[in-house]
Amino acid sequence: MSPADLATTSDTLAWLAVVSYVVAATLFGFEFAYRTRWFGVAGVTVTVAGLAANVGAAVTRGLAVQRVPWGNMYEFSIIVGIITVTGFLVWLSRRPEIRPLGVFVLLPAVCAMALGGLVFRVPAGPLVPALNSRWIVIHVAAAITGSSVLCLASVFSILYLVKERVERRQRPPAPPLVAGAARTADRVEVDQAVARHASVWSRLPSADTLDHLAYRTTAFGFPIWTFAIIAGAIWAQAAWGRYWGWDPKETWSFISWTVFAAYLHARATAGWRGRRAAWLSIVGLATLVFNFYAVNTVIVGLHSYGGR
Amino acid sequence: MAVELRPPAARPDRPPRRPGLGDTLRQAWREYRSMRTALVLLVVLAAASILGSLFPQEGLSPQRVDQYFADHPALAPVLERLGLFDVFGSAWYMAIYLALLGALVACLVPRTRALVRVLGSRPPRGGDLARYRTQATFTTPAAPEDAMGAARRVLRRGRYRLAEHDGELAGEKGFLREAASLLFHVSLLVLLVGLAYGKGYGYRGQAAIVEGETWANARVGYDSFSPGRFFGAGDLAPFQLRLDDFSNSFYPNNTPREFASQLTALDLDGRELQAQRVAPNRPMTVEGVRIFQSDYGYVPVVRVTDAKGKELLAPQEVLTLRDPATEWSTGAVKVTNAKPQVGLELTMFTGLATAPDCPGGAPFCNDPRLIRPVLVVLAYQGDLQADRAQSVFTLDRSRLRPLGDRPVLLAPGQSRKLANGMTVSFTDLKQYSVLTLARDPGVPMVAVAAGLLLLGLVPSLYVTRRRVWVRAVPDGAGGARVELAGLALQGKPAFEAELARLAEQVARGSGGLKPGSPEDRGTLDAPERST
Ligand code: HEM
Repeated sequence: MSPADLATTSDTLAWLAVVSYVVAATLFGFEFAYRTRWFGVAGVTVTVAGLAANVGAAVTRGLAVQRVPWGNMYEFSIIVGIITVTGFLVWLSRRPEIRPLGVFVLLPAVCAMALGGLVFRVPAGPLVPALNSRWIVIHVAAAITGSSVLCLASVFSILYLVKERVERRQRPPAPPLVAGAARTADRVEVDQAVARHASVWSRLPSADTLDHLAYRTTAFGFPIWTFAIIAGAIWAQAAWGRYWGWDPKETWSFISWTVFAAYLHARATAGWRGRRAAWLSIVGLATLVFNFYAVNTVIVGLHSYGGR
Repeated sequence: MAVELRPPAARPDRPPRRPGLGDTLRQAWREYRSMRTALVLLVVLAAASILGSLFPQEGLSPQRVDQYFADHPALAPVLERLGLFDVFGSAWYMAIYLALLGALVACLVPRTRALVRVLGSRPPRGGDLARYRTQATFTTPAAPEDAMGAARRVLRRGRYRLAEHDGELAGEKGFLREAASLLFHVSLLVLLVGLAYGKGYGYRGQAAIVEGETWANARVGYDSFSPGRFFGAGDLAPFQLRLDDFSNSFYPNNTPREFASQLTALDLDGRELQAQRVAPNRPMTVEGVRIFQSDYGYVPVVRVTDAKGKELLAPQEVLTLRDPATEWSTGAVKVTNAKPQVGLELTMFTGLATAPDCPGGAPFCNDPRLIRPVLVVLAYQGDLQADRAQSVFTLDRSRLRPLGDRPVLLAPGQSRKLANGMTVSFTDLKQYSVLTLARDPGVPMVAVAAGLLLLGLVPSLYVTRRRVWVRAVPDGAGGARVELAGLALQGKPAFEAELARLAEQVARGSGGLKPGSPEDRGTLDAPERST
């Protein structure tokens, strides 16, 4: 195939992946809402198919441009899809019970990819000389992975806040009885009450579980993000002669890093654990999104590769 | 602080005392070095950094700061007073991060001391095992001593530090978490110190060199120069640079592919030190100074003679400004000894094409490749006002009027007559290369600190602290009843399963569960789960 054919194939596969993920997200959504296993199983199948198309899109794009396929925002968006969905599937294989959460994982990935395809699509092309370094492979790959994982952690923090609110509302007014047997009875009653008045949101895993999930995901993403920043500094040192220059992109990466570091501290600080920490994580999400979309397009800097 | 697993036992009540100034200060100090302070300062630092990306920064894009002053003449001076055009160098930003560094140091000292103390002590006794939230119990046909032996082996294999307290085995592990966390925080401190050191004692500047020229590393040779606070005038390394050749290339779609300078470094006596092709991402290091390819431009060589052939301007290298979007370059020639004075506005195209050959029906366009260079000359006559400070790239046309009604087009080697009889010749075309030269003595320190920081970060997030106690008592029928209990500081949800697994291994190691015993599984008492 000629590079042009490869590029066209890549675009088609990327859209195929987006459509598959939308279908899969819908199926997971049905499973979440109606607790029908069948939907979830179908959702996994469609997700796997979508991932295959997604990987195909990245590979054909890479072949078309003869370099790693993460050189501009459109390509980043494709990679974000691969990372998020692969992560979700790996994790699903270890803990099948999280499957209904797939809707909350796939929807952000789909949004990122669709936005990339609609707004930031650029025809396949080579890199400008300043980006032409082997560090692009390392730095950009780490940055995409780290930020995808941290975004996912924030999604769990959002779900935590939702569930925490549901649990707070449903908590019986009187404190549970002390004696074990009585308490068990009490719990059953509470569960029944919950089942009766529950919104779909009460089907989320417990607030504690979601909080822990958010923490574990952050603990996974934070070192990757740290590494991405360090690798970026090494690259900047090689390309521009300074490892740090408060370029807007660098500044916002640092802001995200600081906010997630604050989140990690908050989880170990009395009075900040729980809701406040979750809000910090959401602020972190906002900074990541701003860095990716606004800084690449609105704010002028050396990292102006977003370009349309 | 994460070192103590349990709060120390309450001290016997002392008579109440009015808190004095010392107590208030001590309280304030304790508050300052608490994690809450670090957390708040981190958030404040993040918020302050946002300002640095919302306003143009002096150190990053001075032109945009000037633009801002032009656009908002009333607001800009106020913002400047507040340091918003140099956020990261401003006093208040410095104050925030110094406060954070202070808190960091203040919390690291007691944390280190606590870690050393805990490492030097034996794992403490568990006391009444029944009161722990996570426990496991089983009965085994083995004798209590054998069961304890098995427990010892299992815990040792699990890398627990062990201590024996009459009949009770205490195990503890996971100090790597705190040690790694300390490494992370200390590295962060070192990194910031290295950053400040490099900034203070280093410098950064830009210089333009024309092909074939030799440039001396002296302050006057730089077009822009920003030294650190402690960088002395005599600290510039003594060397010269010669630009032997400059080359650039483009992809078929006319986007830049590469540009590179063939540079030779010479000592002050002109002896060659080293030679290298310097390109983006491929810098050269001379005497500790890193030299980077930044930009480039074209240097048409222009000669002007009067109507009688007398030379008014000897062949002059005219530095032009290149527009990276179109690859046109613009420059100016000032013939001050003509009467009246003559100014020439030059536009140099690398490959001028006209109407039918241009995309989208444009009247003319430019091929970025240097295939057919054309110099377009617009001549003016009058007063150049050369005694006033002005840009070398443009003419001040306020006292000039056009000379002739159409521009003159010149290919290299060509000469043309202007309307007043003067002759302009485009004798040669050269390129110049813009290099960034930088010295940062803090780099090694920062690099090592960054490496250690990463090294410390992962275990500080993943290693979990655990304490486990084991006791085995005779069950009255020749076997032993084995009790395990534990405490987890992190990763609590996983700990129940972990302790159950330990119990299972101990049971297997001591000959299996006693058949028919009431607890042939570890019973896990977990009334409430918390994370
Ligand atoms: C300069 C900015 C700082 C950064 C970027 C930072 C970053 C971090 C990170 C990433 C962790 C790991 C979180 C975890 O283990 O869950 C951590 C832990 C910790 N930090 Fe900081 N830190 C900073 C300043 C401070 C300061 C000033 C203090 C002292 C008040 C402090 C005290 C601690 C403590 C006690 C832990 C251990 C928490 C635990 O293991 O649960 N940090 N820090």
